[in-house]
Amino acid sequence: MIAAIQFDARLIGEAASLARTYSELLQRLPSTIHAFILVELQKWPMLFGAEQRYQRALLQVLSRFAEDELADAVSGIARIETEARLDTIATRDPVRFQDEAQAHLRKQQRVQAWRTEVDRFFQAVDPAIEAQLYPADAPRRLVVQIYGSNIAVQTDKLWSRFKRSGMRIPLALDAGGSSEGFLRALFGTNARDETTPALFSAVKNAGGLDAVDTWIVESHEALHELCGGNTVPLTGISFDRLRTYRDELTRALYDKIKSGVESPQAFAAYARTLKIAPETNALLSSTEIVRSLVRDVFLTGNGTLFVNNTFVEWTAVQALRRAQPRLLITRFGVRDKLKPFSSLLLFSQPRTSDRIPLIEDPVGSFVDVEQLAYYVWLNAEKNAAYRRKTLYLFLAEGIDEMLAIRSDLDGSPSTVAPRATLADVCATMAQWLGVSSQEIGGRAIPVLVT
Amino acid sequence: MIPIPTLRRRDAIRVLAACMADWFMPRRLFAQGRSASRKPDRRVIVVTFGGGVRYEDTLAPQGWINIPHLANELVPQGLVYPVAHYEGLTGHFNSTGALVTGCRQDVDAYGSEAPVTPTIFELFRKAHGLLPDEAWVIATNKSFSLMGGSKLRAFGDPFAANVVLPKQLLIETIKSAVSTNAGPGVEDRQALAEQMLSALDEGYEGFGWRVFESGRPLRAELKATLAKSLLDYFNDPTVPTSGDELTFFMTKEIMNRLAPSLLVVNFWDIDIAHYGAYSLYLEAIRRTDRLVYELWQHAQSLPQYRDRTTLLVVPELGRDGDVAGNGFANHRSGDESCRRVWLVALGAGVPKGAGTERPIRTFDVAPTVAQILGFKMPESEGKPLVELAF
Repeated sequence: MIAAIQFDARLIGEAASLARTYSELLQRLPSTIHAFILVELQKWPMLFGAEQRYQRALLQVLSRFAEDELADAVSGIARIETEARLDTIATRDPVRFQDEAQAHLRKQQRVQAWRTEVDRFFQAVDPAIEAQLYPADAPRRLVVQIYGSNIAVQTDKLWSRFKRSGMRIPLALDAGGSSEGFLRALFGTNARDETTPALFSAVKNAGGLDAVDTWIVESHEALHELCGGNTVPLTGISFDRLRTYRDELTRALYDKIKSGVESPQAFAAYARTLKIAPETNALLSSTEIVRSLVRDVFLTGNGTLFVNNTFVEWTAVQALRRAQPRLLITRFGVRDKLKPFSSLLLFSQPRTSDRIPLIEDPVGSFVDVEQLAYYVWLNAEKNAAYRRKTLYLFLAEGIDEMLAIRSDLDGSPSTVAPRATLADVCATMAQWLGVSSQEIGGRAIPVLVT
Repeated sequence: MIPIPTLRRRDAIRVLAACMADWFMPRRLFAQGRSASRKPDRRVIVVTFGGGVRYEDTLAPQGWINIPHLANELVPQGLVYPVAHYEGLTGHFNSTGALVTGCRQDVDAYGSEAPVTPTIFELFRKAHGLLPDEAWVIATNKSFSLMGGSKLRAFGDPFAANVVLPKQLLIETIKSAVSTNAGPGVEDRQALAEQMLSALDEGYEGFGWRVFESGRPLRAELKATLAKSLLDYFNDPTVPTSGDELTFFMTKEIMNRLAPSLLVVNFWDIDIAHYGAYSLYLEAIRRTDRLVYELWQHAQSLPQYRDRTTLLVVPELGRDGDVAGNGFANHRSGDESCRRVWLVALGAGVPKGAGTERPIRTFDVAPTVAQILGFKMPESEGKPLVELAF
């Protein structure tokens, strides 16, 4: 292994304390892993609790490795670093080191080999980290995915990606005619506080869950309007509510394009310097870290500036990966059709007769969200925090059936569930999360909670 | 300021076309540039499902619905290789670079560097002593301006293909038109140009990077005429425009006017998959399928191509699988889905209604083209497709 690089990370607070505690270990790691950990520590105030817990656990687990065991685990990465002469990199700034190391690896066509070795390293350490962070008795999690009522659902193809998973449960939709009625019935009405759906009240009253544990991510605003009182701790992100922010970002990026951009990398570097933030009232729980997540989604998620459902999927996946909420609700909607570019060949103030209106694409949206909802589920199941601990519910507004998948059960339950009301679904969600369902009125669906 | 009446699109285009009058040259000028010597009798058109498609979304049985023309019309006329692999870096420039060189390429993913081994265009032109108009790259992907020739001293610009990026040509045309003070509505024309730039300047993986200048630009009169025809085409309000429709139109124009022996056509609308809209990705696949079919029909309608043309249709790469990769929106995992493609050959020298399970590699495309057009491909990692008659 090449001689350890003395990085100058300029850490403060708990991050500095961690670096000091594990300084000897860090020196024994290959430079790229060492730099990665320091860069994460530099971001400490902007990491979600789950991310901080992972970094602590990573250092703890690595510190328990015997010397030869650790040397063996990192030998592949160390070999590639030596071959790529990363020791010739002069900088001591871990961020710059990462950039220059990647450039070295790219130039010498060793990126793929390095990535393979890094994957191998984390495959060796992750089981121990996951056992520490996510024991079998860790709290249950709930992911609810809803298709908005304007999506042209084809019932014969609905949730077709899950043909062999979970169970279909017939629903009785007494009050579910409109989106609002459906969502109110699904999340329950609270007699004492009409502005807060019963499920969220129950979650709040149970205590122990703060805003970072409960997320709603949606293309439009129906869920936000449902929780309009903002009386419960909740992180809420809506594509529509971020319109002003999206417009400002798009304008800034396009101005940069017009002035000339050398490469996508240069463009991304410019984007990182932008100091544009969402308006405070555009988000529920508008903390700095959530604003930062939203900004990262727009800047790194292809299509998220333009396609609402893509934004929902990217944001949900980032939330699952980074914040690991116990309750995540996504609501997809109808996206607009993309205009053919000849339709833009109009003068700056086109006459009304020349103007091409925005047209919604409810049929295409159904095809999109089938895939995107599947990807949210796939990404959750790739994450140890959710694997074997999560109930997934898929609902489409106005459709008298839902799909339920319990990740702690192998295969589909053999029983056929009787017809349930949305209040029953609400009670099921409450019971699954371990919060009181007394005010909800419905009865939990036994096959999903026992 | 004098108020300027608002113009309709057709009027606007007419103004632009008029502003370009000084560019326009009569068609007969092309006759001067035509190559007469040692032009082979055979023609080859290579069409890519650029951007990358997954086997499961196309040639797998569940994907046939997305490629009805290939599945029902073209495959029965030709030979299908359902198992083809791409083994290089999974970016657009390097994967198409591998198709045109027969070698894996590891150059800048966004097109600032030419391929490092000789292309089929250079080897073809050098071997037969042909003029540039015999070999063309027509590409929707704006990063492909250096795809026509390698950076090798013995080859490069003097032997490279003509490269035309129809969307960029349209942008340049509009920019040129609005830069004059002639004609009405300077302010409006500026606004028009800005709107067009934003509409045409898309890149689905991130937008805004540079279009690199080709070392050997098109002849001025040739470029002007192609630009003029492009504007005329755009002037038709019934045209359902997309980048690939422009590329298709430009390919037909070049075939009609110059009848080159070797064309590589890059369709790229499929890369809209990066926007995460599965339906738009499938729609682009269907459009590409239709355009490939119409291109083949067009070739059959031209005496210079009928019965002497071999068409090779191949995706430049796959896209990530759902489980092992990152899903259809990306092509960066390097998983099997990202590398598994297919190839359909038809026309001259191709057995009809055949298929072979023999696995091939996309590196095999270049030496196959070489074999058909009669030149050597010494550095290729691939081998000619032996099922074809040369």
